Amino acid sequence: MLISYNWLKWYIPDAPEVDKLMDIFNYHLCEVESLEKKSDGDAVFDLKILPNRAHDLLSHQGVARELASLLDIKFVDPTPKYKIPQSKPTNLKIEIQTPKCRRHVGRIVRNIKVGSSPDWVVKHLESVGQRSINNIVDATNIVTFDCGQPAHAFDMDKVKGLKLIIRQAQNGERITPLGSTEKVLDETMMIIADGEGNPLDVAGIKGGKNAELTELTTNIILESDNFDPVSIRKTAQALNIVTDAKKRFENDLSPELGPYGMLELSALIVEMCPGAIFEDIVDVYPNKQEERKLSFSAEKISKILGLKVSDKEIEDILKRYNFKYKESDGKFEIIVPPMRLDLAVEEDMAEEIGRILGYDKVLPTIPKIKFKPKQNETYTKILWARNKLLNDGYSEVMTYTFCDKGEIEVQKSASDKKFLRTNLTDGLKESIKLNKINLPLLGLKEVKIFEIGTVWNPKEEMHVAFNEGEKVKEKNLYEFRK
Amino acid sequence: MTERKYLPLKDIIKMKEGKLGTIHPLSLLAEEAYGVFAELGFEIALGPELESEWYNFDILNMPKDHPARDMQDTFWIKDNKTKVLRTHTTGVTASATEQAARAGRIPSAFISVGKVFRNEATDATHEMQFFQIDGSMLGTTEDGVSLANMKGVLTNFYRKMLGDDIEIEFRPSFFPFTEPSIEVFAKFKGKWLEMMGGGMTNPAVIRNMGLDPKKVQGFCFGGGLDRIAMIKWGIPDVRLFYQGDLRLNQF
Repeated sequence: MLISYNWLKWYIPDAPEVDKLMDIFNYHLCEVESLEKKSDGDAVFDLKILPNRAHDLLSHQGVARELASLLDIKFVDPTPKYKIPQSKPTNLKIEIQTPKCRRHVGRIVRNIKVGSSPDWVVKHLESVGQRSINNIVDATNIVTFDCGQPAHAFDMDKVKGLKLIIRQAQNGERITPLGSTEKVLDETMMIIADGEGNPLDVAGIKGGKNAELTELTTNIILESDNFDPVSIRKTAQALNIVTDAKKRFENDLSPELGPYGMLELSALIVEMCPGAIFEDIVDVYPNKQEERKLSFSAEKISKILGLKVSDKEIEDILKRYNFKYKESDGKFEIIVPPMRLDLAVEEDMAEEIGRILGYDKVLPTIPKIKFKPKQNETYTKILWARNKLLNDGYSEVMTYTFCDKGEIEVQKSASDKKFLRTNLTDGLKESIKLNKINLPLLGLKEVKIFEIGTVWNPKEEMHVAFNEGEKVKEKNLYEFRK
Repeated sequence: MTERKYLPLKDIIKMKEGKLGTIHPLSLLAEEAYGVFAELGFEIALGPELESEWYNFDILNMPKDHPARDMQDTFWIKDNKTKVLRTHTTGVTASATEQAARAGRIPSAFISVGKVFRNEATDATHEMQFFQIDGSMLGTTEDGVSLANMKGVLTNFYRKMLGDDIEIEFRPSFFPFTEPSIEVFAKFKGKWLEMMGGGMTNPAVIRNMGLDPKKVQGFCFGGGLDRIAMIKWGIPDVRLFYQGDLRLNQF
């Protein structure tokens, strides 16, 4: 995930300098895969957001909030700046017909003008590797990268019946996603259709040609919705479409973010089209995300980390992260924020507290436990075989497990050798040839080599093979060392 | 013939004189690693290279349709939907721990070095087959096996493998089978290098092994053995290990 330093600073003006921030990311949050310092003074971090934080950190606001709490610095909330004109009653209808759509927030905006974007929008988008398309599309993209909520805009006049229906596709139904060729859908895939059944959008993945914006568009329908992650992942895989929306939905985004996404999107449209007329928001949210509580104790956290963590240290962290909590006698109960889907069990809090404090605080300690290890029979045999052959003057080699014929075949391979070897002999023969050429270099008179390795006939077996001149002898390990 | 835990100096001299054969560097390293962990009470575990889907994925909290399965380029087997070429040896230590627990042998610690497979294009640092070293330690809550213990065990390991001046560092990470999850870095010749992943064994994994996470806790870790060999001996290309070329056996 590309994160622009200048963009972050909108929300955390007191952010540390770029190089210091790089260490903070690496030691307390996630790996910085690269850092590009730009000529215009900006710096762009490529963060390897971990899968358990992809719910809340695939956005500038998400990362800024995390840093504000981690470093105990100010977070500038943008919402007071978002002033949307008084909205008018709406005739927009939204119908969710599939449980895989968890929320749909929509709104009609009339009297907009499709044109170019303000400078800051173009710069923000460029900083994260996106190009500006037009003001409305840019606004939806800014929302995605700013707060993590994917958003989309339809040309309202192309949506028949002023109605959006979110449903499973019919087998054989067709759609042409923007920037793509026509795709044939099946009933495992989810679409958004209009009141007459025309597919407008591969839900959560990509808008379609049918309701694409043009320069002539004056009325639009904005959407900020939420979908089941597994459905999104499978559909995108099947259709081979990767989009920024897909990446966020497949990581399980909280449906609680929907209205905020709509607010921010609306505010951007106001900025770009001051004459825009806003209609009421239509929010369909069949099953509200349940509030979750999580209990943990300072004692258990300390025991997991092997580091004494005090109640006070924990309270300090909970306050900085704006967790609502109750504490009594070292036992904590928090209300998990809706976006923090990663926090489910006590061990998750151990990780949270460990990484915030810094794992450098965890000091290396050898455990004082009396184990009663047993000997591993197979390994003992391997050692015996290896020692014997080394002592007899044989040198050990390893060759490839994959070959071009055999009894067990892998489904797909990056190489043309798709079978698991049935013997060590073939590989060893190649090795003899190779080493013969190098005999003078090796200071040896003859090639004497062996390999101990796994073969499949088709049962998996451990074999030992060694050569006598050009001939190779191969035995099962258990026969070699009876 | 005597059993040896690792290679005595006199044998190394004999090898150089050509009276003894020479050992493959990864075998040498594996024997050394086993020796280091054995001193701390770890037991060697081995398992099949063609692994069941359960031990490669499910037991490790990577159910079907879990995005974590995409993080690894897995070799699936034709006409057999239940087996994969193992992508790590974590399943080996998990299976060994499960069996130990059934025999009432907790606390226990396992170490496994074995060949693993990834279906990816090869280059100087990527190979379709390579060796991984995996360890796990599980004790009762009274034993209190902790992340600090993992740091102790791994600091000991890297010092014995790469030299007494090695520092190691834990950084935040994510694996489905550990919570907390960390990435292990070692400072070698002034540079921090990513060596391993690991963390405290996830309660979901402990339950999958048929145990109660309220009663036991522990850690597990794993990383490339080839990588340690490349760093230790300055071997520039991972593919050299599997060419059957004796010029490699010089350590």
